Amino acid sequence: METVLSINKLTKTFGRITAVNKLDLEVKKGQVFGFLGPNGSGKTTTLGMLMGVVNPTAGSFSWFGQVVTNETRKKIGAFLEHPIFYPYLSGQKNLELTAMIKGAPADHIARVLDVVELTSRKDDAYKTYSLGMKQRLAIASALLNDPIVLILDEPTNGLDPMGIAEIRNIIKKIAADGKTIILASHLLDEVQKVCSHFAVLRRGVLMHSGAVDEVGKGEETVEVAAYHDDLGCALQEFVGTLSLKRDNANVIIKLKEGYNSQDVNRFLYEKGIVASHLLTQKKSLEKQFLEILAEADSIKK
Amino acid sequence: MLHLLQVDLKKLFNYRTFWIICGLYFLTLGMATASGMEFLKWLASTFKDFGSKLNIERIPLYHFPDVWQNLAWGSGLLKMMLGIMVIISITNEYQYRTIRQNIIDGMSREQFILSKLFTNLVLSLASMVLVFVVALITGFIYSPEISFPYMFAGVEFCASYFLEVFAFLSFALMLGILIQRSGLSIVILFSSYLIELIIKKNIDDYVPGLIPFFPLESIMNLVPLPFARYAFQEIQDYVSFGSVAIALGWTFLFNYFGYLRLKKSDI
Repeated sequence: METVLSINKLTKTFGRITAVNKLDLEVKKGQVFGFLGPNGSGKTTTLGMLMGVVNPTAGSFSWFGQVVTNETRKKIGAFLEHPIFYPYLSGQKNLELTAMIKGAPADHIARVLDVVELTSRKDDAYKTYSLGMKQRLAIASALLNDPIVLILDEPTNGLDPMGIAEIRNIIKKIAADGKTIILASHLLDEVQKVCSHFAVLRRGVLMHSGAVDEVGKGEETVEVAAYHDDLGCALQEFVGTLSLKRDNANVIIKLKEGYNSQDVNRFLYEKGIVASHLLTQKKSLEKQFLEILAEADSIKK
Repeated sequence: MLHLLQVDLKKLFNYRTFWIICGLYFLTLGMATASGMEFLKWLASTFKDFGSKLNIERIPLYHFPDVWQNLAWGSGLLKMMLGIMVIISITNEYQYRTIRQNIIDGMSREQFILSKLFTNLVLSLASMVLVFVVALITGFIYSPEISFPYMFAGVEFCASYFLEVFAFLSFALMLGILIQRSGLSIVILFSSYLIELIIKKNIDDYVPGLIPFFPLESIMNLVPLPFARYAFQEIQDYVSFGSVAIALGWTFLFNYFGYLRLKKSDI
């Protein structure tokens, strides 16, 4: 697949603090790439370097395999941290200005305003907009020049649940068009819902990078309950059991690779035990994320 | 190039403060330069001595070719208003952080500063054209006789007035980029005259040759004070090549410093 973005040992220091440390990353065409990390982990600094507003201390990056100039940025739609517009200009006028800078045709404006459902408020001054509307205008502005890549930094920050759902739908709609999206967030649930790939950044260091689908793979954990006194002992004998833990009335077993809940059920049935509760715990991105961070901590210690 | 100017003008033309300040500026500029004789009459009626010692009708304030230098010098006093407008325009970009978004959207830092520079050029040109027109009209009204080649002697003061405004606006733009806050930048713009004056007074006795090289001094020297000639004193009634060269040098440096700062900073 075509590489859209390739980052090579990118580093940024502010005085003694290393905000981004020798970051290597690749984003391919069509990916919805989640960029994860706790607050202050260097996500926005990285995106700032990629968009030319922060000067890198060392390292390099290339967009679309080319040397980066300001012309490159015109093909990317981005807003970092929070929406930025001229407060005294209307939404329409702000977009006209962006279109002039990006060299986008003026007739795109009506279309992107429609996508984010701001057409009815387009002639009001930006400063009268609610946070959700500002956020949506920023997305409209990012979409203005039919960008090949879209960079969204915390697009749902500070929004109410309805606003979050709206933005998420917009992102999904755009992703369905085959655009590459880089989405920085600390909301893991959000990334799991919309992203195909993700990377985890912590204190400026890349901790993990991979596909979201792979998160659930690996050994399974199954939660079992049954009206049987010695469920624990019985399950101990099961060949697929890796480890076993009691949790109130339930028994939680971690399975070896290649075994799943079906095997557990069959085993119990053959033993004459009928399970009243059988639940496969899917590993969530949140869990994986916390594990990645915990691993990093233990290595440090 | 024209495109960059259009971008910056679009920001300003929809900004009410811009119209208020520029409206006041050009109105004041036009009125003040045209009403010099009224001012003299007012002086004569207020101060008894003034009228009796001088016959104001005989002061050739608006006569060709004096009118060029007289009006160019008088107009130069008002450039502070434009300087404030330029500072507001650039510091707004920092305050709203729109400079960041402009660059994310695909402007280079060079293009950004050029867009501001072109606006400065337009404001300076507009000032010059207005002063030229007022001088031409008042010259025709007040001059006792008009002879073609003679009336345009000294018209080069319009050009040096243009450079005076442009150099000053470059200075204001640089302050705005370096300081990034409007209030502080405006205070420093005002006090820089005072600061320079104090330094000049202190070194005057030791190295007087350095004085013409001070930045604000060099801008002032572009159009020397003309009115002393009406008290039978010798004045410099030409544009000196040296002043132009020094002012051009500073104009380049102001813009270069601004550019350097913008290039190196994270925004």
